[in-house]
Amino acid sequence: MTAGLLLAFLLLVAGLLCALARRSGPARVLIGAGAAAAAIAAVASIGGTDAVTLPVALAGQRVVLRFTTPSLWLMGFGMVPAALAVWLCSPRRLGRPGWLAGAALSLLGALGVFGVQDGYAFLIAWELMSLGGGVMLLAERGSDEYGMSSFYMLALLEVGAVALLLAFLFLAQYGGSMGFTDFSAGARAMPGGLKAFTGLLLIVGFGAKLGLLPFYEWYPQAYASGSGASGAILSGVVLNAAFFALSRGLVQWLPVDGGWLFGLGEALIAIGVVSAILTSLYAFQQDDWRRLLSFSSAENASIAASLLGACLVFRENGLSDFAALAWAVTLLHMAGHALAKGGLFLVADGMHGAGHSYRIAQRGWMRNAGAAFGIGALFAAMSMAALPPQMGFVSEWFVFQTLFQGFHLSSLTGRLTFAFAGAGLALTAAVALATYVKLFGVGLLGAREAGGSAHVRARYSMSVLLLGLLVLASAVGLPIWLRALHPAITTTFTTHSSFTLTANWLLIPLSGDFAFISPSKLVIAMPLLAIPPLLLLWCMRRYPVRRAPVWYGGMAENARRAATTSLTFSNSMRTIYNFIYRPTHDPAREQGASEYFIRRLALNHGVSDMFGPLLFRPTRRFVWRLAGHLRALQSGDINFYLALIGAWLIVILVLTLY
Amino acid sequence: MTVPVIEDLTPGQLPGRCRTLLEEGGRMQFAYAWFPEGDGPAELRYVMSPASGQEFRQWRCRPADDAVPSLAVAAPLMSWYEREMTELCGIAFADSPQPEPLVLLSGAQASKPPLVPGADASLAYRAQPYSLPELSEPSRADLQTLPFGPVRAGVAESAQFIFYYAGEAILHYYPQLFFKHRGMEKRFEGRDAALGTVLAERVSGVGSVAHALAYCQAVEAAAGAVVPPRARALRVLLAELERLYNHFHYLGHLSHTTTLKVGEAQGLYLEELAKQINGRVSGSRFLRSVLKPGGLRRDLDLGGVLDQLNRVVDEFTPYADMLLNSGPHLDRLITNGILTRQAAEDQGATGPIQRASGWDGDLRRDQPYAGYAQWPPYEIPVRQAGDASARQEVRIAEIEQSIALVKHVLAEVPDGPLAVECAPADGSEGLGWAESPRGALFYAVHVGAGGRLARVKIKSPSFSNWRVFPFTVHDTNMMDYAINEASFGLTIAGCDR
Amino acid sequence: MPLWTLFGLSRGNASTRWPASGDDGQAGVLGMPRFHPDKCREGCSDCVEACVPRALFIQRDGEARLGMDYGRCVACQLCVEACPAGALEASEDWAFGVRRREDLVWADESVRHEASRLNHRIRQVFGRSLHVRHVDAGSCNGCESELQALGNPFYNLHRLGIFFTPSPRFADLLLVTGPVTYAMHGPLLAAYQAMPEPRFVMAMGTCAVSGGTNGGGYACGNGLDEVLPVDVYLPGCPPNPAAMIHALLLLLERRQQKAQGGRLDRSET
Repeated sequence: MTAGLLLAFLLLVAGLLCALARRSGPARVLIGAGAAAAAIAAVASIGGTDAVTLPVALAGQRVVLRFTTPSLWLMGFGMVPAALAVWLCSPRRLGRPGWLAGAALSLLGALGVFGVQDGYAFLIAWELMSLGGGVMLLAERGSDEYGMSSFYMLALLEVGAVALLLAFLFLAQYGGSMGFTDFSAGARAMPGGLKAFTGLLLIVGFGAKLGLLPFYEWYPQAYASGSGASGAILSGVVLNAAFFALSRGLVQWLPVDGGWLFGLGEALIAIGVVSAILTSLYAFQQDDWRRLLSFSSAENASIAASLLGACLVFRENGLSDFAALAWAVTLLHMAGHALAKGGLFLVADGMHGAGHSYRIAQRGWMRNAGAAFGIGALFAAMSMAALPPQMGFVSEWFVFQTLFQGFHLSSLTGRLTFAFAGAGLALTAAVALATYVKLFGVGLLGAREAGGSAHVRARYSMSVLLLGLLVLASAVGLPIWLRALHPAITTTFTTHSSFTLTANWLLIPLSGDFAFISPSKLVIAMPLLAIPPLLLLWCMRRYPVRRAPVWYGGMAENARRAATTSLTFSNSMRTIYNFIYRPTHDPAREQGASEYFIRRLALNHGVSDMFGPLLFRPTRRFVWRLAGHLRALQSGDINFYLALIGAWLIVILVLTLY
Repeated sequence: MTVPVIEDLTPGQLPGRCRTLLEEGGRMQFAYAWFPEGDGPAELRYVMSPASGQEFRQWRCRPADDAVPSLAVAAPLMSWYEREMTELCGIAFADSPQPEPLVLLSGAQASKPPLVPGADASLAYRAQPYSLPELSEPSRADLQTLPFGPVRAGVAESAQFIFYYAGEAILHYYPQLFFKHRGMEKRFEGRDAALGTVLAERVSGVGSVAHALAYCQAVEAAAGAVVPPRARALRVLLAELERLYNHFHYLGHLSHTTTLKVGEAQGLYLEELAKQINGRVSGSRFLRSVLKPGGLRRDLDLGGVLDQLNRVVDEFTPYADMLLNSGPHLDRLITNGILTRQAAEDQGATGPIQRASGWDGDLRRDQPYAGYAQWPPYEIPVRQAGDASARQEVRIAEIEQSIALVKHVLAEVPDGPLAVECAPADGSEGLGWAESPRGALFYAVHVGAGGRLARVKIKSPSFSNWRVFPFTVHDTNMMDYAINEASFGLTIAGCDR
Repeated sequence: MPLWTLFGLSRGNASTRWPASGDDGQAGVLGMPRFHPDKCREGCSDCVEACVPRALFIQRDGEARLGMDYGRCVACQLCVEACPAGALEASEDWAFGVRRREDLVWADESVRHEASRLNHRIRQVFGRSLHVRHVDAGSCNGCESELQALGNPFYNLHRLGIFFTPSPRFADLLLVTGPVTYAMHGPLLAAYQAMPEPRFVMAMGTCAVSGGTNGGGYACGNGLDEVLPVDVYLPGCPPNPAAMIHALLLLLERRQQKAQGGRLDRSET
């Protein structure tokens, strides 16, 4: 129903205007309603919408809006947490109008990225989306260097935008126009090397947003200067939009002819797997909810990107069934990720509202926050850690099943790459599990703070519960939801008629003989398994239980002092992976009269970024130096300026005349 | 045993004299306070050795009501003695860098300073958690506290070890000792000097001979008694037998921490053989109830000792060889818990720990007592590395030296009387010392009216070495901690008294 | 590279079979002095003056008589040396583990306590497997040294089914040494609270039984029965490992109590 999407668009614009007029109350409602309308419309018209031509033309190109099934799928899953995030809004009251304006811009841009069908409109929508993100972060001022963080983010995204522009120019040059339908023809007409290069440009362009290496470096600072609500939008609908654009570009624009596709696919797998490993390792070391979740978003996007590379490799080998499988899995992965990540970001905001800190520390939240908050947080964390029967488990399982199919490939390089990719993603999954154990265990469980803490507001509990249940529902009902994707999959990849991902209530990677899982059945079996221990507990209730305090060695101890902290949980990994982390561990001791009398102790610890010092800082220094040299142009001398203008006039004259 | 030289100083002169002493290469040994006239003011005593090999000297100081300047900045080892004097005798020290209570746990309130003569103080105690050093705000959320004890795993003495750590790395370590503080120094007051040996033997159970020796020698110094030659020789024998079983236990315990099971079993078995020799020789596995002021109470049964000792040597020699050549065992010891010579000197480390850090010193050779003037140890082993491996090597070498010395003495024990009359006069005082298996042990005895003890000060080697130990643990890691602690081989009863 | 396994195997089995048979390892070790009150001289109190822990005392009920409390004796043999009449004789009696405190005090023949009833359930349940949690409540370390010796290859406590555990949660027996200092009072009670029932308590060493030489004063209590209910008392300073084994087996009712009314049954059982 295009009408629904149009309604969403109008609501968002209205909300944007209200926000610009500094009326955050109505803006919240409108923008949230717009996002909700987009989600509902996406679900309702999952089969795809017709093309709607807008009465706007950009450079002679009419703007056409058409939403295909994958775009609606990803948009729907991304808009749900976005709607909740906007309704809950940013915790910083002063910045709310600005934040809402930024949110509206992001959502509008995302809508555009999902739907527009020509290059000009796409680039505008893309930049709007990035700008919206920047505005959101600037309005929140979450950290001391909020300005620099936003700037860093926008700068790296601009690098991506330049790459995108270049790619579009190539495609348009060979295709004839900036319409996306001409892009596929254009790509076919390109020479082989240029096709690979264009593919690479698309990867760089969208990878800057997705967090493929080395572009994930802007993630932690940017997310840390925002709030959980910003994170829910940035890691939900915005990430999904970028991924949709990448997958469309690589799968639908680039043709299937020649070994260059194999090379491109392998490159994407390599980039994706290495990014996933690095970002998951860095996620494990973070002490702040937002930073950890941001690295984790980059990790999940990298996993999906590497699977996209697998899809390309399968395509080149002629195994279109497996390519379709890989492509479908990326959609499932990003969908589950959007819901769960949104849920966890809202958990962080809820905690912040009660405790005024985003630090991962034991404060007994679960006891304070109530069952709803806890269940929602648990389901979201389980999904991110890929525990059954959640959506994250389903997509992770499918990822490995797809990679296992690598033995069907004809070349040794291909098989080896898939094997290494499987090993790399297994490492990522293990570290991700540890990361979420740390997030949930240290961040949410743990001893109650002495003095009691404030309660988490009910609205956060309800939102988190909703998202958690949605995660579970999407996994449990996947055999039903997958039917919606089936037509799109089969048409995109021309698969065999026996292509299927479901068999009754089981989920299978094309064939049930290889392997199968069933969250739908697990969600019944797992509670049943819980009955025997509960029965035992019930039977034992008549026996008196003598309670004794925790044994610490004879002295009562302050449980908070002795509790595991975020640093102590992850410190041992710093030693094992110190060639990646290059950790710093500096105890600072304040002495009394001499070094033998210590009065105060502090520990300065950290992990070093990889690409910051290697790549970005030297680049920045170079640009600084260049700018320094070019300062000569700002001489302030009127005669110099006049001479410059005169020189330019002569150049233009020459160009036009000759 | 000559009477030590005592010099009177005013409180203001103390810091200057201390600095001069340290510059000239001397070292402070310990300090204590006592009350010469019952309810009267306190008198401070500082015991030091001017330079290696010279006699001990004492400074006497009567502060009246002035605060005494603290010597802890110039000589860090004095910090613990000053804190003890503040708590137990009520002496105030000015500019003390760490004035917190030491001996009485935080949360304990005494009705009066416990060592003031008279009736026992009453103690009210309510446990409080340890809180130093202060952690800066972000680090408080990062670091984890591990309070280990006082009831620890296995059969072990009670003490609480508090770690501030981040996963594996230890940031700060504090041993909260003095859970076993029994007030032994107060128990001596009013006792007959001859019966004090019974108490001295039970201050530190595995150092009974050393404590009894130091005590008896202090009383003999006070009385001016000269112990007969046979008693002197047998005293050397007893001291070395004690050193043997203690060092065997040490090797067994060290092997336990490096998870060398057979090594642990063999070390403990050697200790059992040594204790059985003790039982046959003296009637007590810990060599108790044999010493008294003036000599020995009864003769030792030396028949068959040489054979039993040879059996121990046969068990020990291949064992020591294997310990010094086991790669996995040595890997856990080398560079573990390095104690620098500077830290050892500043903090007053003593015994095998001091000698393993390159600092040569042994009371048996430097200030001979009992029969050591006539039968000195052949060699005092010294190592430079200061790590756990060096401490192990020093103790293995000391075992070999002790066995050689025991055989030497057994061959040359003279006949003669076992004891002389020893009745210290009222108002006399004496300083006695011994090199216990863990280091230099001192007893300062003051005799009051009626030949009864007025004040006994015990400076045990474990008290000094426990002060040193934390400085080898900061900035190391948890896996190495148990091995490091075992390599120090300290007792807590001796420290806590 | 030394091969420790071969070394260990070549040493063979060094364990004694005591108390079933064999060497108890205490040859020559002196124990509590034997008391012969009939040899006492009238008006003599030399032994009382020589006794530091006050195990020998004058009891004034009617006429002044000498009393002997083995629960306070540290086996220092000073009374044996001090006695001019030979009423106190050095001996190798150390198996003084008892279930009731009164059995350590010398009593007239006429006054005999009834033997305490045996609870055969203990032997059935714990007889072959007893887990011990040791708490040091301020001992001099002598008792710990002998307790640690129980694990050496000679005594090898594990062959009797008795083990030391690291946590009171797994423990059946709380073994306490030391006179209970003020600081260890709380942790000791916490350890007892942390033990699941059924649980037993043993006071090991003269300090724990009665305070001995170290008890009293400003920092110490006077023994364990001021703090916890005690099932077995074992005096000795320190009690040697064979005495400890006897006391543990006594708790498990695998061995008989030898001391009654301050008199030791010296027949070999």
